[in-house]
Amino acid sequence: MTDLKSTASAPAIGSSRRARDLLAKPWAGTVMLLIFYLIIIVIFTVLSPFFLTFRNLISVGTNASFIGLMAAAGTPLIIAGGLDLSVAAVAGLAGVVVSMGVAVGLDIWVSCVLALIVGSAIGGVNGALTNGLRLNPFIVTLGTMSIISGLSLVLTGGLTNPLLIDSFNWLGSGRIAGIPFPLLLMLVVFAVIWWILAFTPFGRYVYASGGNPDASRMLGIPVDRTQIMLYVGSGFAGALAGVIVAAMLGAAAPNAVGGYLLTVIAAIILGGTSLFGGRGSVWGTLLAVLILGTLNNGLTLLNVSSFWQDVTKGTVLLLAVGLDQLRVRAQN
Amino acid sequence: MTDPVLMDMTGIGKSFGGVPVLSDVSFTIEKGKVVALLGANGAGKSTLMKILSGTYSRDAGSIVIDGQPAEIKSPADALRYGIRMLPQELSIFPDLTVAENIMLAALPTKSGGVVKTLDGKGMEATAAALLKRLGLDWLSPKARMGTLSHHVQRIVEIARAMAGNARVLIMDEPTAALAEAEVQLLFSIIRRLGAEGVAVVYISHYLKEVFAISDRIAVLRDGRNAGTFTTAETDVDAVLEAIVGNRVGDIYPPFATPDAAAGETVTVRGLAVPGWLRGIDFSVRRGQITGMHGLVGSGVEMVGRALFGAVPRTSIAGAEIDGKAYAIRNPGAAVAAGIGLVAAERKREGIVSMLSLRENMSLANLPLFTRGLTVDRRKEQATTGEWIRRLTIRARDPEQAIGTLSGGNQQKVCLARWLLGELKVLILEEPTRGVDVGARQEIYRQIRGLADQGLGILLISSDAEEVAGLADRTIVLAGGRVTEIYDRPTDAAHLMSAASKSAAA
Repeated sequence: MTDLKSTASAPAIGSSRRARDLLAKPWAGTVMLLIFYLIIIVIFTVLSPFFLTFRNLISVGTNASFIGLMAAAGTPLIIAGGLDLSVAAVAGLAGVVVSMGVAVGLDIWVSCVLALIVGSAIGGVNGALTNGLRLNPFIVTLGTMSIISGLSLVLTGGLTNPLLIDSFNWLGSGRIAGIPFPLLLMLVVFAVIWWILAFTPFGRYVYASGGNPDASRMLGIPVDRTQIMLYVGSGFAGALAGVIVAAMLGAAAPNAVGGYLLTVIAAIILGGTSLFGGRGSVWGTLLAVLILGTLNNGLTLLNVSSFWQDVTKGTVLLLAVGLDQLRVRAQN
Repeated sequence: MTDPVLMDMTGIGKSFGGVPVLSDVSFTIEKGKVVALLGANGAGKSTLMKILSGTYSRDAGSIVIDGQPAEIKSPADALRYGIRMLPQELSIFPDLTVAENIMLAALPTKSGGVVKTLDGKGMEATAAALLKRLGLDWLSPKARMGTLSHHVQRIVEIARAMAGNARVLIMDEPTAALAEAEVQLLFSIIRRLGAEGVAVVYISHYLKEVFAISDRIAVLRDGRNAGTFTTAETDVDAVLEAIVGNRVGDIYPPFATPDAAAGETVTVRGLAVPGWLRGIDFSVRRGQITGMHGLVGSGVEMVGRALFGAVPRTSIAGAEIDGKAYAIRNPGAAVAAGIGLVAAERKREGIVSMLSLRENMSLANLPLFTRGLTVDRRKEQATTGEWIRRLTIRARDPEQAIGTLSGGNQQKVCLARWLLGELKVLILEEPTRGVDVGARQEIYRQIRGLADQGLGILLISSDAEEVAGLADRTIVLAGGRVTEIYDRPTDAAHLMSAASKSAAA
């Protein structure tokens, strides 16, 4: 930790103008994150012989994939000035929907599509409440989160239902060219969202809506429609993550994903996205997802108790946000 | 003139980013007198008062208070000298009582106990005494602020400013939102203050009020003294001439040649916004600049945005754009119908400061730059580069965040962005607010150029001089109604007297 601190904050303390200019570059945050990632990789490699193996690195990415799916869709939403706290609860409900669909005799794939539709619809409700009624997104999605996780428990009686169907379980454990399907899916989703943000008019509206909603409206930009679509996207991604988790576990557990909400939000913020909107990138989020996953993995390999892992995660988040603030100040 | 001088500002100079805003300005405040501070927008009134109240520091000059040199370096210093400024916007706490609102800066506490507790009785007694002093004994100190009407809240604010050792009260457009009876109440308070020896600096565009309440009138123009008058010995014309000056309109381009063929681009009937506009009719002609002038609170500030679909509860009897019916729905529909709007509050409603100059330029017209599913960045860059050259926008780099540009250059981007699409009417709200003279001239030239290309321009401005210098025809608004229409260019003094006269009627 002390290693990291002295390395990463040295340019900020050094009063030289060049360092400040470097820090002010738009990509400086992502580069800092990358350096941080390399540092923890080096530390864990030195401390544990099992860490730097292809198998372990792949498993880190795979285990983080469902968090990545939710964080990928949450990033543009937060950039546009929204927030979705219900996403992890939606993931839980999606698994329940799949298992119930199968229970009533629906085809497994039809059940999956149904789960994705339900997730998107919940996103639509979040979007309609925040943009139609102008309610605060924190309150709205806190409310829908509670409703959805409650409903998942009501529908299942709190029980975990097995979902052992080979073709379905392949979604969780199958490989394409040696790479696990969940990891591949996450990378594809990140790439698609990056492409949308970087190259399409919609992507430009995302940044404009979050950066200055009043000005955006005065330019005729459909701010509300942009946000509603992003809420739908977040709901869809939540359901997709839920389906993947159910396939990985071979079961639909209503409580399986809910606890990861904070990790999802932490990854987006750690990745450099501003909670106030207007600023952020999906690559930052991807790096942050991998960093949090790696910390988890490395600390487990070193037999550090999971209680301490939470402490570490929080510390890293605060440190990153502090450094980012230095960077923003250098920009102004 | 026998009254002793309370404060004397001499040789005050101030510049922002190398642009002088005040040069060698002198301003005297006498004990118990009302001095009106007048001048066009950007003449330096607010800057001078912000120096006096410690918000800005001066670059040159001196301030003498009670014959002693005074150092005012912060708002706290100014408060110690008894200088109070009434904010332009209401700043009240609706859930607290009148007494709490008045005494908030120095809440009295009970002595003796281990924990300091609020002395509620003492607080109410002090507040009641203060209200009585101002002739407001009908106002209960226990009333909750939020339950009072807007103008009573305003008056409580005055009481708050007077708490403690107030000696000078600065009021910036205090009557902008007040009705006639409320103005009279305000005046009676000001007279009581005068009798107690408190001096008032009264900033207003309403000349009738200025003549009714002030003892002296000081005029600023372009950051310099342009005349001081004893109110009883002067008249409106002399003051107007000092405000406007006999400056030749050299920063303004020539007017359009009168062209009978120039038809109407926009006709509007019965545009109404509750509390602001009471159903106005007007039109904007192709190839001309139609000016719209009115004082703060006249409703002029709402016309453009209401037509643009950005004001809730707007109603309209009918509107046509190039002969086609136009219904007000939202800004998106307005843009689709060929209306563009450059908003007065540039920072809040004009730019997305963290996005680049290029991204801000194309934002309202992204479909023009979209090929297939993606934005054609090369075309965007080419167009941005072209407009940077044509409008001489000073920027290091088109990829620079627009928030880092100067106000004038930001405004040029806000103007340019509408020129990319198929525009029929361009509404400009206060287009040169906070813009330096150099950029101003360039913006005026561009506006004229757009009119020459056949666009209809609606120039909405509370700066009479700007409207007089630029508009081919002018509509004057007061009290939410059209009160005067000039079908040819007119001079600023005419406009100002029309706007301030009809407002009082």
